[in-house]
Amino acid sequence: MSEPTWGKYGTWEEAESYLGKVIGVGVGVDAVELGSIRRWLEPKEFDCAIHTDSDAAKAAGHRDVVAPSTMVFSYGLPAYWSPGDAHAQMGDEPRQIPIPVIFDVPAPCTLSFASNIDMDFLEPMYVGDRMTRTSRLASIAHKELRVGKGAFMTQEDTYTNQNGDTVAVVLLTIFRFNPPEREQG
Amino acid sequence: MGMDVHRSIDSIAIGDEIGPISIPITLQRLVMEAGANRDFSLIHHDADVARATGAPDAYMNTFFIAGMFERLLREWMGYGGVINKITNLRMKVFNAVGDTVSFSGRIVGKDVESCQVTLEIWAENGTSQTVTASAVVSLPSE
Repeated sequence: MSEPTWGKYGTWEEAESYLGKVIGVGVGVDAVELGSIRRWLEPKEFDCAIHTDSDAAKAAGHRDVVAPSTMVFSYGLPAYWSPGDAHAQMGDEPRQIPIPVIFDVPAPCTLSFASNIDMDFLEPMYVGDRMTRTSRLASIAHKELRVGKGAFMTQEDTYTNQNGDTVAVVLLTIFRFNPPEREQG
Repeated sequence: MGMDVHRSIDSIAIGDEIGPISIPITLQRLVMEAGANRDFSLIHHDADVARATGAPDAYMNTFFIAGMFERLLREWMGYGGVINKITNLRMKVFNAVGDTVSFSGRIVGKDVESCQVTLEIWAENGTSQTVTASAVVSLPSE
């Protein structure tokens, strides 16, 4: 499941200089609200009243409607266009989701694949909450695999709400690599 | 509001299986999902771009997969459960347009004192296992 990387190209020394540092911050454009929850439940055919009905949520011990935990990714995303931004032109590059900020770290690699994801949900998200994602480069582990030589690069994304509470911590690991050199002749 | 499940820590045992739930993957569903979860990467709604990366067609994005695991866990737990962790989520095979993807799980650990349950969870597309992960949830004590 590899795909061409759109990552920055550089040396491993450059990559390692980012270890432990903040490599991206995303401020969610939309607060948690009932309409976006409903539209998220819809394609999954997910019928769950604590995500839609205040009384059901309170009966389950929540202070109000609670958003699905895995919606935290979406609520941490910025807008794809905002007032003041330039208008799109035909032929512009398609917009990429800005979460895998590992690709903003220079590395001497041309290909990549997502290896694994670990999600830790710590606090509920209620209607009106706003998420901010702060990404750090957590680790670089060099490895040679069948597909090529490179490194497992892990970013740690901390999602906080408007009160500064940590709502979720997500580890995203991507293997960035170069394919083996083909034999000549 | 069809969920009428009140799963407690005392009512479950290691080895119990959960699910399956299943969802047919159509391009329309992927577009609905992209609009809802805001991952607009072309590989998840443009068949030509997806095929150029080696996939058979446009395929489910990570947020969709994680959300279906949440539905699997929630429908099994009922409203009183809490999802603490989904870990080591590995996408092995594309879940592409034309696949009916099912999600299932199995209880592999139970700690009555902390009310926490550990599960192996996975997705299948009819021919192979496509995604694997672990989950930790908390269930009420009664």
